[in-house]
Amino acid sequence: MRRFLQRRSTVAFLMCLPLILLIGGLVVYPALYAIYLAMLNKRMTQFVGLGNFEFLLRRATFHLVMFQSCLFAVTAVAAKALLGFLLAHLMHVIPGRHQRIWRGLLLIPWVVPLALSTLGWWWLFDPSYSAFNWLLAKLGAPTVPWLGATGWARFCMILVNTWYGTPFFMIMYLAALKSVPEQLFEAAAIDGAGAWGKLRFVTLPMMRNIISITVLFSLIVTFADFTIVRILTNGGPRDTTHIFATYAFQMGIQSGDIPLGAATSLFMLPILAVASFFILRGVSRRDREMAAA
Amino acid sequence: MSAAASAAGTAATRRRRVPSLARQRRWALWGAYSALGVFVFMFLVPPFYMLVTSLKTSAEISEQRTSPWLVAHPTLANYFDLISNDNFRSFFLNSAKVTICVVALSMVISVLAAFALARMRFFGSSVLATGVFLTYLIPDSLLFIPFFRIIGKLGLVNNAWAMVLIYPTLAVPFCTWIMIGYFASIPKELDEAALIDGAGWLQMLFRIFIPVAMPGIIAATIFAFTVSWGQFIYPLAYLYSSDQMVLTVGIISDLIRADVFQWGKIMAGSLMAAAPPVVIYAFLMDYYIAGLTAGATKG
Amino acid sequence: MNKLSRRAVLGAAAATASLPLVHIRSAAAAGKLTLGLWDHWVPAGNAAMRKIIEGWADKNKVEVSIDFITSVGNKNLITIAAEAQARTGHDVQAFQAWDVHNYQQELEPMDDVVAPLIAKYGKVNPVNEYLSKIGGHWLAVPSSSGTQYKPSSARISFFRDAGLDVQAMYPARPEHTALSDQWTWQKMLELAPKAQQAGLAFGLGLGQTTDSVDFVGALFHGYGAELVNAKGEITVDSDPVKQALEYMAKLAPHLPPDVYSYDDASNNRALISGKSALIFNPPSAWAVAVRDNRPVGEDCWTFPNPSGEKGRFVPYLPYSWGIWSFAKNKSAAKDLLSFLCQREQVEALCTAVDGYDIPPFLSMADFDVWAKVGPPLGTVYNYPIRPWHNATPSIAGFPAPPDIAVQIYNRATMTTMVAKMTQGGQSMKDVIAWAKDELEGFTR
Repeated sequence: MRRFLQRRSTVAFLMCLPLILLIGGLVVYPALYAIYLAMLNKRMTQFVGLGNFEFLLRRATFHLVMFQSCLFAVTAVAAKALLGFLLAHLMHVIPGRHQRIWRGLLLIPWVVPLALSTLGWWWLFDPSYSAFNWLLAKLGAPTVPWLGATGWARFCMILVNTWYGTPFFMIMYLAALKSVPEQLFEAAAIDGAGAWGKLRFVTLPMMRNIISITVLFSLIVTFADFTIVRILTNGGPRDTTHIFATYAFQMGIQSGDIPLGAATSLFMLPILAVASFFILRGVSRRDREMAAA
Repeated sequence: MSAAASAAGTAATRRRRVPSLARQRRWALWGAYSALGVFVFMFLVPPFYMLVTSLKTSAEISEQRTSPWLVAHPTLANYFDLISNDNFRSFFLNSAKVTICVVALSMVISVLAAFALARMRFFGSSVLATGVFLTYLIPDSLLFIPFFRIIGKLGLVNNAWAMVLIYPTLAVPFCTWIMIGYFASIPKELDEAALIDGAGWLQMLFRIFIPVAMPGIIAATIFAFTVSWGQFIYPLAYLYSSDQMVLTVGIISDLIRADVFQWGKIMAGSLMAAAPPVVIYAFLMDYYIAGLTAGATKG
Repeated sequence: MNKLSRRAVLGAAAATASLPLVHIRSAAAAGKLTLGLWDHWVPAGNAAMRKIIEGWADKNKVEVSIDFITSVGNKNLITIAAEAQARTGHDVQAFQAWDVHNYQQELEPMDDVVAPLIAKYGKVNPVNEYLSKIGGHWLAVPSSSGTQYKPSSARISFFRDAGLDVQAMYPARPEHTALSDQWTWQKMLELAPKAQQAGLAFGLGLGQTTDSVDFVGALFHGYGAELVNAKGEITVDSDPVKQALEYMAKLAPHLPPDVYSYDDASNNRALISGKSALIFNPPSAWAVAVRDNRPVGEDCWTFPNPSGEKGRFVPYLPYSWGIWSFAKNKSAAKDLLSFLCQREQVEALCTAVDGYDIPPFLSMADFDVWAKVGPPLGTVYNYPIRPWHNATPSIAGFPAPPDIAVQIYNRATMTTMVAKMTQGGQSMKDVIAWAKDELEGFTR
């Protein structure tokens, strides 16, 4: 018994046990249960198989929701990745002792609880009290129905998500940048590479994995976002800003059709699973290449 | 790596000569500062506006005669009202209690697991390592309803401890991932030496790895802290009485009365709720970066 | 109420017969009771409720605990969903309009509480009956706490300048005026451009939350427009619906451009900020204006909504108290609820919140509080529907079967139709085709 307990794999398994219990009990089990729920009828008295999924796929509004979720997630993640990359580089240029204050200021959007900062944004967009519109009016420009017109409302939710998420990208990229050995840049500089050359042939290859992982992580979280849309627009105007989570909420909780809400949420899974399959495959392939090199 | 460097070499031959390096550096520096300045300005517009609003009375907010960006008659009344409000204090304490427990629990779970996954290969360990990260694929909005049942069965409806149970699902995967990366970056020689000295696995973890991996642990801790302090959906769903409520939801449910908003107080409350994470980041930022640097690149 | 119908007599007889029963239960009422009640926007409302309930609890030796659960962010809806799923929670919950229907399988029949109340106080608001009486049984007790009408809340000065004296039209006394017959949707449409020019565009939401849905629902009723009829047939492709849409197409250009994103607070803010001459809302907007922007508050008058060809409809959004079938102390809960629905208690609560709460029993629309509140004095006198208003309470989606109507309401089908046409630029034909498809989904 004692020897068994000291065997490496046993110890390792025991160390992983809390994690396995947590994931199994509070993620996998409820997820399976939710999948079961998604296959019931509205009153949850009858098993209908894939009926709910089929039903959703036939609804024009649901097509809109799928399109908007993808639009929102892809645009916001792209914006965050680009801005985060830019900021990390700007930050990397300035001397280390000055970085602290700048980093601190730029991290604030990420640090403030999202629900509360979104309320602040919402107040900035309010039809009657919008401080942005006040500025526009002062400048003689026409005021903007920030959350009232489809284009603007979509822009606003992407803007708020970008504002919130960019600092996280910046920090991750900055961490990755710092871990690129300085000799590589020096070698590139000696070879006469300019900023563009360094970026293309040193920074990007070195950061590729961290970029992939951060993008994947953010894609997942952004896809599943609830707070921003719920507080800013709640799906309006005309359902043109609904994304999976808010639509699922409206179906499941507000309209009392829990199975349909669960089915809506479940649609996120395959989309994200495919995305993560490709991203993670790329990551592990590069890992192997690097190990081999 | 070597491929990248040689590629850089071939690219370099194509480039023309560049002007004085020192001058170029200075320009780059100024450029970076001004660009950062612009970004900081843009990033801080909403917090600034929240601050301005929090210093106004409701009357000043609604009359709209002066610029919304300035305060005509600054007052701290909103802050004092909240501080002297029993409910608000209890939200704060609940948030603190939940967050401390969640961070501790998450760190124990993820450090133990990450160590095992990074250092002690066993059957299924690589699957588990990837699988942990993939739990994020399952959206909150899906788990929402099943959690009702689990919490109900456990008798934890309207109980802040239910949050201590649920939040780790949000924090642990990312923390584990950071820690796997960090542990993996520690040279192999270290554990070989320890094993020769006859140390057990646990001793090795506590005596050698945890002290060495402190930056990674701090980075993961900060992440767990941010997640659990700012979490919104779960407390919105599972807590309703003010003695169990946490800050994020408490501010919204207590200060917004049906269709009447007390904007000054909402903003004051939000800023006070944002203060603890801001302070923590301000002090621990350097560790955060250092921890991510090692953890992120190897993950 | 003066005429004593045969049914009322019978009802009264039934009530007397059941009275002793109630008393027997009273004696047995003991133990613990947990309540999840609506968190009133007027803080005094919670305090008054607590005082009344604690008084009852002391007398009946019941240990009561009350949680006031806000409707902000649909917190009450989520809590109810949580309790239904977990099959544990409060004994009594406050259900928002449609939730009685959504949770009918988990609710205890309340006929033995409601029937005596009807016998004693007469007719219940028909909307309550539509929402809570399912399969011939009351599954929840109509509550006054949080129950509201959404009548016109208008700026006296603007309407006077535009030639309509709203105070003369709906004076603060029991009197039907000839002027009030002129308050039609057509009249409102004529005034809308004037308001827009004066920088006071009507703040009538076309978003997806209750205020918007309720207003458009009442308008549709005024035209006799039903998306789905009482038999559950889809009737969206009909002349009345087209007329209502045409009306909205004419009105929408004169509303603020943001109306499509309005939530339940945006219209309040439009009025309070002095940027709007008319909203459809309970007097909460006026009350906040009095607190925060007094000149506007003193210039507000509340009166029923405009009328259409089919009559005058005032949006009504009620709360009900229900008891979970898995509740632990049903008898005490029923006892408390019938106590809370007595006129004295309803009036005390209504007075504490300056008349915001609307009693579900029509005979109680005569409390003093609505005549006494100001400024200006009598501003909310016409907030409850008075017999001489010739108005009907309305809820969007009625008369469709409630399990379809709930989706029409919560998915905001009507406002979305209007918005697709007026904001999205779609033709009426396309909009109706879209609605048809959507409604077919609801009837599955």
